[in-house]
Amino acid sequence: MIESKLEAAVGMSRKWDAREAGREVARNTIKQLSRPPNFFLLFSTIHYKKYGGFQEFLDGVWDVLPKGTPLVGGTVVGFLNNYGCYTRGTSALAVSYPNMDIAVGYGRKTKSSPEYASNEYARMIDYKLKSSRYPYNFLLNLISGPELFNLPGMGYKKIIKSKKSANLGIFFAEIMQKIGKKGMPRDDEILKNLTKKMPDYSSLSGVLLDDFKFLDNYQFLNNDVLTGKLVGLGMKTDLSFDVNTTHCMKETGINLEVTKIAYNGWVIKEINNKPAWPEFLRLLDWNEDIILDESKLMERMMYCPLGFKRDGKVYPTITGIVVLGDSMVTAVRTKVGDKAAILNINGKLLVESVKINLEKYQDFKPEFGLFSSCITRLITLGREIYSLRDILLDYFNDKPFLDIYVAGEGTYSSREKRLAYSDMSFNSAIFGSKNNSKI
Amino acid sequence: MQNDPIALVLDDLLKLDDILACMVARRNMISVMPSGDGFKSEVHQIWDIIHRAMDDVFGVIGAYSQAGLGEMDFRLQDYEVLFYVFPDTETALVAIVPALANKGLIEVEMENARREILKIMGAQDKARGITVPA
Repeated sequence: MIESKLEAAVGMSRKWDAREAGREVARNTIKQLSRPPNFFLLFSTIHYKKYGGFQEFLDGVWDVLPKGTPLVGGTVVGFLNNYGCYTRGTSALAVSYPNMDIAVGYGRKTKSSPEYASNEYARMIDYKLKSSRYPYNFLLNLISGPELFNLPGMGYKKIIKSKKSANLGIFFAEIMQKIGKKGMPRDDEILKNLTKKMPDYSSLSGVLLDDFKFLDNYQFLNNDVLTGKLVGLGMKTDLSFDVNTTHCMKETGINLEVTKIAYNGWVIKEINNKPAWPEFLRLLDWNEDIILDESKLMERMMYCPLGFKRDGKVYPTITGIVVLGDSMVTAVRTKVGDKAAILNINGKLLVESVKINLEKYQDFKPEFGLFSSCITRLITLGREIYSLRDILLDYFNDKPFLDIYVAGEGTYSSREKRLAYSDMSFNSAIFGSKNNSKI
Repeated sequence: MQNDPIALVLDDLLKLDDILACMVARRNMISVMPSGDGFKSEVHQIWDIIHRAMDDVFGVIGAYSQAGLGEMDFRLQDYEVLFYVFPDTETALVAIVPALANKGLIEVEMENARREILKIMGAQDKARGITVPA
């Protein structure tokens, strides 16, 4: 029976000092296990950059963690676990189970060459696990997140009205993306390529970031702190698991077509053959004055994402995260001819999406759960995020779970051959046994 | 007080970049301040007017906290003042943040601080209960 063989634990630390926090999160996690872990997932908010640095943080973890334990993780906006919801601190999940083979890997050049990055990563994981005899395959993919440009003469502005400055900004962004210094994470390209290279691996993905400033982010791989990489964990096991993505967005009935793009599809220049930003506001019946307060731009845009249709399903993405003249930057790439619906969401539906997600696992006896959720859900719900935790506590009882808040997320089901990536979604990977089944 | 556990919770909150000031307060009284140097200097020039506005808000809190009023906030110039009311009391955890701050992220830590303070208050009440003679 699984129960006697599998041990899983989640731990955390709220200490400010990086080294002490690293020691405490490792200690609090592995003290719950009676055997060394097969793997250790580690996530933290960006605060340790100022309080000792991330190498010091990771060194603190290794002061406690058994040498050679496969470790992956990175920086996130926040996390939610059995203990609560936090936008400062660190949390880890560790599992010990004899019927499991683990490999960790990385891919470089995610921003300039996502195909290269995902190929390198896939080769690494595949090679290390090729002799494994276990039937079920899982990947946890963590991708270096978006890093805003400090545009010459414009800084980190989110609304650039001058069309000349906007075009200069787009040109600068394209150059910086090509040389891999800054820019968009290109997670869609990475994930699509991974499903081709490793179609038999179901996966959960998350795009790492800082505290929503999009200035920098870090990845953890064993003893190293990395930047600009794809890192992850591959698993082959006899443990049952499944993955699921939900969002609960509602279509408003307002539809549009992307008719001109720039910056590899991250900038929408025209909608319905008209300048994108004014046309988008017209469709929403919003006065431009509503948006002039740059501090509120992202919060307002979160409530009206665009839903792009793929494989018969609608996947939301936030648009207008930066306004460049009459163009708007979108979090997921588009192409000319893409049709989208303007979607709507409220707090109640954000909470509902968790309940609906868990319905897939009702005949499951969970042993541990991993989740990746969009940062916009955390920002929108604020303190009400505790109601999501209550739903998860109710489902898991005393079994450990960890939900990381990221800037782009998704799942791939090898059984359904379905890749789901979007914004504002809730994504799960729950491991355990099906009720009445023997493993 | 240096060893006041509530002050230590406020110290933690004040370490966040976007928290310019925090306290446990009620009308006309600040019950607990952070233990260190006090508020961040940015707040000093606007403190007087914010303090006066806070007292007016506490009037509303006093009137409606028994009816379940849990939270209030207002914006004054470039600042927002957040009030997280302790249930069935006229006391609140109060924080001053820049108007440009990401409120969603701050709210999570304000809620954590509120829960921790409630735990401390509960423990203090219980301890007082034990020492009170029957």
